[in-house]
Amino acid sequence: MRGLVAGMLAFGMYFLVQAAVFHVVKVPRRALVLVGLWLAGLPVYVWLYGWLPDDRSVWPSPLVAPSDLTTFFCGGLLYFFLFMGYAQFFYIAESSVGVRTMIELASDPEKGLTLEELTKRYHYDWMLERRLRRLVHAGYLIEENGYYRTTGRGWLAAAALRWFKQFLRLGPGG
Amino acid sequence: MLKGLVLACAGFALFLVIHIPLFRLRVSEFRFRTMVRIAFALGILLLVAYLATPSDLGFLPAASTTAGWAVDLLNGLLVFAFLFVGYCMFYFLIDRGFSGRIMIEVEASPHRRLPPAEIAARYSLEMVLRRRLGEMLEIGRITVRDGRYCNTKKGRWSVAMFAFVKKFLQLGEGG
Repeated sequence: MRGLVAGMLAFGMYFLVQAAVFHVVKVPRRALVLVGLWLAGLPVYVWLYGWLPDDRSVWPSPLVAPSDLTTFFCGGLLYFFLFMGYAQFFYIAESSVGVRTMIELASDPEKGLTLEELTKRYHYDWMLERRLRRLVHAGYLIEENGYYRTTGRGWLAAAALRWFKQFLRLGPGG
Repeated sequence: MLKGLVLACAGFALFLVIHIPLFRLRVSEFRFRTMVRIAFALGILLLVAYLATPSDLGFLPAASTTAGWAVDLLNGLLVFAFLFVGYCMFYFLIDRGFSGRIMIEVEASPHRRLPPAEIAARYSLEMVLRRRLGEMLEIGRITVRDGRYCNTKKGRWSVAMFAFVKKFLQLGEGG
């Protein structure tokens, strides 16, 4: 349990610090801060693992794991997986069109909205521009005279995504 | 602790072995629901396999079998669950990623370059919204009444939670 508890505590600390930072400061480069804080939490995990007592002195025998490399690795894995799960939740809250749509629908909870009314509320130019800006910033697209083209990295990402879409028969998607 | 890890990895590999041919052979409208059902069934199978197999699985070193059964099983189930969650992230990125679609449209264009207006023409807001509304209808977050989309109780709860998170973390209106 020592590894799992250390992983959970380290993630709990990461979560609180991250929430406080984003609450106090309007963060422009969110991914960088999310990942940077998580990396900064790795030494905290190591420290917590060392600080927690050996399982045999705390837990009943079915929950006792030896304090070896596997237990340490499993705790680290939990810290990583919890972060990945949280990152998924964070980006759903931040970027999801579905969530934004539901928030728009909540503006008139009794009547609801038609597709036409929803379309009017959603500023597609803004939505598209935001994605394009991010893709340029991340080095996937280049803007030239008002046209966008893919970089080498963008070409590779587009080819991989298209291949997986075809392989799993997912349709054009988006 | 190795038994749980080995079974979790085997369970996830089995998930891929079942899910990939299923998606390739049969086009389902309810893909995510199918994935969740397969993963849930395999989670139960993992539990049964853990209880029914020896602690060394017949090939693990004796030193790796000293952990208590409960912590080993818990660890195995956590790893399996998170591998599935991680795969879901990957799946959604491929299936629903708007940015990915933009790059594919740019690459597929005759001169491999597009202005924003042409990207919008190839993948309009109406298409984006229709797809999202369909997905939210499927998972019961919204409903249709007289041609108008409304949040369900589940949807209202989601709105309250995400609106709070967006506000608290200063994420802007997003979407």
